[in-house]
Amino acid sequence: MATENPLVLPGDEIDPSLIPTHKTKPLRLGPGLRHVPPNQILPTLAGHLIADHRKNALYVEYNGGRYIPSPSDLVIGQVTRSAADLYYVNLTPYTPNASLPHLAFEGATKKTRPQLANGALVYARISLANRHMDPELECVSTSTGKSEGLGPLTGGMVFDISLGLARRLLMARSRDVGKVAVLELLGAEGLAFETAVGRNGKVWVNSESVKTVVVVGRALKETDEKELGVEQQKKLVQKLIKEMR
Amino acid sequence: MTTKREPEAALSVLPKSDGSARYSYAGYTVTASVNGPIEAQRRDEHAYEAHVDVIVRPAAGVGGTRERHLETILQASLIQLILVKNFPRSLIQIVLQVEASPENDYVNTKLMQASLNSAVIPALLQTAVLALLSAAIPMRATATSAIVAVMTQDGASRLVAHPSPREIEAAQSVHVLAFTSQDGLLLAESEGDFTVKEWDDVYDTAKKICCKSGATKGEGIEMVLDEQEDSGPDMRQFLRSALETKVAADLHWK
Amino acid sequence: MPREAEPSLNERQFVLKALEENLRLDGRTFDKYRALALTFGDEYGVADVTLGRTRVLAKTSAEVTVPYADRPLDGIFTITTELSPMASPAFEINRPTETEILLSRLLEKTVRRSGAMDTESLCLVAGQKCWSVRVDVHVLSHDGNLTDAACFAVVAALRHFRKPDTSMEGGVLTVYTPAEREPVPLSWLHSPFCITWCFFGDEGQMALLDATWSEEQVRVGSCTISLNRHGEICQIAKLGGTPVEAVALLQCTNVALTKAKEFSTYLDKKLAEDAKRRDKDGLMAELSAENDR
Repeated sequence: MATENPLVLPGDEIDPSLIPTHKTKPLRLGPGLRHVPPNQILPTLAGHLIADHRKNALYVEYNGGRYIPSPSDLVIGQVTRSAADLYYVNLTPYTPNASLPHLAFEGATKKTRPQLANGALVYARISLANRHMDPELECVSTSTGKSEGLGPLTGGMVFDISLGLARRLLMARSRDVGKVAVLELLGAEGLAFETAVGRNGKVWVNSESVKTVVVVGRALKETDEKELGVEQQKKLVQKLIKEMR
Repeated sequence: MTTKREPEAALSVLPKSDGSARYSYAGYTVTASVNGPIEAQRRDEHAYEAHVDVIVRPAAGVGGTRERHLETILQASLIQLILVKNFPRSLIQIVLQVEASPENDYVNTKLMQASLNSAVIPALLQTAVLALLSAAIPMRATATSAIVAVMTQDGASRLVAHPSPREIEAAQSVHVLAFTSQDGLLLAESEGDFTVKEWDDVYDTAKKICCKSGATKGEGIEMVLDEQEDSGPDMRQFLRSALETKVAADLHWK
Repeated sequence: MPREAEPSLNERQFVLKALEENLRLDGRTFDKYRALALTFGDEYGVADVTLGRTRVLAKTSAEVTVPYADRPLDGIFTITTELSPMASPAFEINRPTETEILLSRLLEKTVRRSGAMDTESLCLVAGQKCWSVRVDVHVLSHDGNLTDAACFAVVAALRHFRKPDTSMEGGVLTVYTPAEREPVPLSWLHSPFCITWCFFGDEGQMALLDATWSEEQVRVGSCTISLNRHGEICQIAKLGGTPVEAVALLQCTNVALTKAKEFSTYLDKKLAEDAKRRDKDGLMAELSAENDR
């Protein structure tokens, strides 16, 4: 019974007809699957099994749990302390700190580098992450040398959201594919604010008006907790705007 | 109220834990929270594996030796299920809070239950597995478990699946078994006097209860359990449907 | 024990800025409680309280034991609050943190020391046998304001609890099982509730009721007032923190009285609903062994 995107539990057998095949590309296993030699593929998480035939990839879609650092992810971290030539930045509570070199910022030299106090927030990319080492961050792209929006985040407020919503917000087409339109809708209503989304479940919102930030925060939290669809998000935005005025 | 209702489960009930679950069946209600992988204490760190810490808290009282024993049993089982090699030097913390145990209205027990007996193990294990799934901790397989009691009546022994508290008190021996979703024996705890033959029968009965969906794996004609009509719910199916509800809610946007 | 994460500078500054404009992050007013929900268990004496995302479970149990030598006419009444890592990985069993000690002390003063329950009624045989009633408070989820939620849960659980009926005949004590005789309620005198105020700002000028966990992290002081619906104060605890104007504190106490009355009405309503649910065929009146006096 090969239904589209079936629910899989850890250890389940996967119907071979669901595994995509490709002439030239090797099969790539995404999160939630592991390969048991010689030729068994087993799920490790509970979720929907999704096959991407274009990229010849197979993965398990799920929401929940704690963020596990993985390379090239954009995250929002909090500086806990500063050592000789590193900042120690915390990405998730109760886990070891990640390290961010003092000079990993655009155009930074020993004399002109950004000074981050303890408790400051940074928007960074994960440059190194594996299970044996503490993660390492950078605020500059090693190839271009430009910051591309990364760096310290001043002012504003940071809100916690689920990992699933963070992933949807970071999608290229978050409205169509991720079905999250709250931010666009709020902007369309005339609110002026800027945001930064961290894959580790954090959203930073800043605006001239404190009320705007509070409204954006509440909109995101409700969309997350009540699992609202696009239509419901529109209604939520209407309600919040009315309350604000 | 010792009515044997259908099992009930709710996932992600605690908003601040990485994963959580609430499970009730046969008078037991247990809430579990899972946090991890988080930083382990120096003394608990393992170089290549995660440390799994299980804490069992009874409803009344602070728990003593019996709870520590239950923790050891559960930890040994859960370590087999969790892929601990994925998170070296980390800690996966599982806290199991027993909220309710079945009452026995006919016995004047000390109303303070200072310690839990092994009949609570299936409920604890089930809740732990559900909470781990809710926390998206990578696992090798899931598990289901059952209790079987052996009672002697007029010299002949009789197996009772899903025994009530009164039956457990009066039984000759009580056995708790758990099986993984790949039909392997995960846990076997027995109390009382019993023979090897009785244990083999208990094993077969428990396996049928826990691995009921084995019907699709080409077993041909289902073996008929005549004396006791197939009592009890299909635990694996229950696990699956509990997860289906949760995953459907999580992925509502797709 | 991993350390609790500190809030970022952005959060601290923002929460204060918002409060200066009379805004709370969840849109509440300064003196509004989050959604309070109380559920009783199937057993007597189990109360599950949810206050927003904070969830506390209280379980009452009783056993017959020997009374303390220096108080032979009183029963024993204890409240335990052991925080487990379920509330937060920063808590460890057997290693009490400041939060745990303060919570335990506040509950002690509010419920035990105020005489909410009559311990003399727990005595069975003077100097030899008495009831030992014990309430275990389990914190399942901690999103701020544990004190208020825990106190409410303890009071609800105690009022809900039924202990087995007993009789003394010729020096022989009989304790009846629930199947023989319907259990009886505890002797309850008054219901105290805790109301906690948190202060913000350089001079503690802004006061909030029922702070969430993130608001608690940036507060400069707090005050817990315990009182019942008649306005009788059991205790007031302001343990350090930024000094607050005395007049402001009095205003807080007045609002606390209103809240205590609201809590009391809610609790009475829930207990009545639960009694009705259990008493489906009107049998309770027949089963009770009490005489009309």
